[in-house]
Amino acid sequence: MSGEAGQGGAITPLALHGVGKRFGRLAVLRAVDLEVVAGEIVGLVGANGSGKTTLLSIVAGLLPQSEGERCFGGRPSPTVEMEHRRRLAFVTHTTQLYGGLTARENLKLFAELRCAADAPWIDGGPLLERLGLSHAADRMVGTFSRGMMQRLALARALAGRPELLLLDEPFTSLDRPGRRLLAEVLAEERARGLAVLLSSHDTDAIIEVTDRVVLLEGGRLIDAAALESDDPERLRYRAAVQGLGLFSARSPGPSASSTAAVSA
Amino acid sequence: MPQPPAATTSLRSLARQTWLLARNDLRQEMRDFELVATAGFFTLVVLVMFGLSFSTLGRYAQPMAVPGILWLAVAFVGSLTLTRIFDREREADTLRALLAAPVHRLAIYLAKAGVTLAVLLGCCAILVPGLVLMFDAAAPFAERPLATFSLVFLGCAAYATIGTLFAAGLSTSGGKNVLLSVILYPLTSPALMFALVSTRTLLDGHPGFEGYLSQLVALDILQLVVSAWLFESVLVGTAGGSSRRKRSAGRRT
Amino acid sequence: MGRTLPLVLFAFGAGTFPYCVQRVFFSTPMERQMGTVQKIFYFHVPLAWIMMLMGVVCGIAAAIQLRRQSSRAEATAIAAAEIVLVAGLGVLITGPIWGHATWGKAWTWDARQVSTGLLWLIFAAYVLVRHYGAAGSERLAAALAIFGAIDVPIIYYAVKIWKTTHPDNNVVGTLPPEMWATLWPCLAALLAMSLGLMLTRIRQEVAEISLDEGWVRIDDVVRSMTAKDDGKDADKDDGKDADKDASKDEE
Repeated sequence: MSGEAGQGGAITPLALHGVGKRFGRLAVLRAVDLEVVAGEIVGLVGANGSGKTTLLSIVAGLLPQSEGERCFGGRPSPTVEMEHRRRLAFVTHTTQLYGGLTARENLKLFAELRCAADAPWIDGGPLLERLGLSHAADRMVGTFSRGMMQRLALARALAGRPELLLLDEPFTSLDRPGRRLLAEVLAEERARGLAVLLSSHDTDAIIEVTDRVVLLEGGRLIDAAALESDDPERLRYRAAVQGLGLFSARSPGPSASSTAAVSA
Repeated sequence: MPQPPAATTSLRSLARQTWLLARNDLRQEMRDFELVATAGFFTLVVLVMFGLSFSTLGRYAQPMAVPGILWLAVAFVGSLTLTRIFDREREADTLRALLAAPVHRLAIYLAKAGVTLAVLLGCCAILVPGLVLMFDAAAPFAERPLATFSLVFLGCAAYATIGTLFAAGLSTSGGKNVLLSVILYPLTSPALMFALVSTRTLLDGHPGFEGYLSQLVALDILQLVVSAWLFESVLVGTAGGSSRRKRSAGRRT
Repeated sequence: MGRTLPLVLFAFGAGTFPYCVQRVFFSTPMERQMGTVQKIFYFHVPLAWIMMLMGVVCGIAAAIQLRRQSSRAEATAIAAAEIVLVAGLGVLITGPIWGHATWGKAWTWDARQVSTGLLWLIFAAYVLVRHYGAAGSERLAAALAIFGAIDVPIIYYAVKIWKTTHPDNNVVGTLPPEMWATLWPCLAALLAMSLGLMLTRIRQEVAEISLDEGWVRIDDVVRSMTAKDDGKDADKDDGKDADKDASKDEE
């Protein structure tokens, strides 16, 4: 998949520069700078209403930002065009599946929509099996539990072989084994070069899967490692983040050179 | 996409995606027939109500009333259908999934408008024969089936083109369904009037019928083009204005 | 200029209006058939023109709003739609009075009447959607306004063919010059008034938007000041709040 990204050699699937979003006098996001490079899983933590979903929706092109710039593959992208939507997948906490279709049909519909006319669509079978849903592949999604829907939504997202995966609160309704499965699957996909931006207010869960964590508070990205506060919740973030030693809005990670190339 | 080959492929994929989405809606509908059953029953009820109210009309008044009955019933059924079609997307927020997927926005619009049109035509399959049974003045419907079909098709299409745009817009903005009726009835009035005029000329055996029908075609095309043009901006919107972008760029340096 | 222009317009309107009334009653000939009632024409027709004009302005502004996400265009669209409602109300009140005296019936389903009525309904729907719609419905309302502007001539034409036997339509074309001479000042006065109203309303909307912006910026400053003791926050954009204040953000 990384082959078709191709412009500048180094791949930065996503870069946000000074992105802000206002609803009237409510500044939901303020000057957010964020880069996610290929093969990296970035956690976006923050309390309820801190702007996580808004940020992800802006990245997915479902909301227009009020200011700032969104870049895909190093190039500014004022609107999220077909070609970008082909490379990104967004799993929201409303799982957005057709309840009147079976799991397999749900996968097939989106796979067919994604594919060119004559190319064969990717069979969802192996994916369903990987996510532990093969026993329910032909059941109506309307009868699924929330956790199952969550896994199916993930399968649908991965079926498109995206370069950038956006997950909004993926842990909410997953049980322990489900979380472990998610972590495993994400690790596999990362090895393939997938970039992931996932949001959660669940600090513990996010530590298990992410390479680094950014904290969104009051619509800003905050240096969570340097937080000083008496608020126990924030201290928990800090402890968690320091434990990882990973916070930074600009990635120090494995592909730091490519990041530098883009931001230069 | 300036080169013709790219344009043709994108046109082909547009047609394909439209078909896939429409088929998806139809397939779900075939499973429980919820929409067809409720809309069909509602059509029947409306028909009976109109019949009760207007059954005593004399033979001179009937030709004036029948077109109104037909198209008002279509307007009522249409607003119900549009609400239901987008409720299905709204319940699980699937419209957003389609918007985030590599799907032509135009394909979403065309598929939904097509399904709406299909349901409306299904309802007219009850409505028109019902009117023929109830009112003598509606006999020309049975005598000229082809003319009647084109009239009904074009009228319903005029309704569906506008209705789909606004129903889709409301379902993503989390707006209230009440607003759909507020918007739909005034906005579809031109479509309604053209359909009324054409229907009356059909019933009167007026020679101008074909002329009015072609005007209805023109209206359909105009509404389709404007709605298709607006669909993406209404559902997704475009990013911040240039002045704002400039300001934030200045801050960064 | 932003503040003075509406004032100038209002002053002009206020100054011209008595002159108009004076002209209407003393300088125009009495219409032979309709009598005194015909005088309402001098207010009815300009109001109708203003209504149509504002409808088109609203549609164009809404199109610009959708294309550019321009808040000025949005403010203009809102203001124009509201003027359509006000002017339309005037038209719909004066029209039937005139109609009653002339045709013996207040409402005759004449093409002008119906298209005016429907136009008014469409813009009432616009205002309703703006007022009661959820976030994101401003784009929906814009589409509504665009369709509204497009619909005006279509409705007019449709009613014309629907009612081919409507009363004589050429009221305006065949006026004696004295009537024209009075119509123009009336139009000028009313147009100045409505433009003044519109500009005031636009300023109000723009002020509201900049107030929101100012609010956000003050919030920024407060945050960066409270964050100062954390040191090394040269760029205020990276500043952070030490204590979470009440302005909790929502989605």
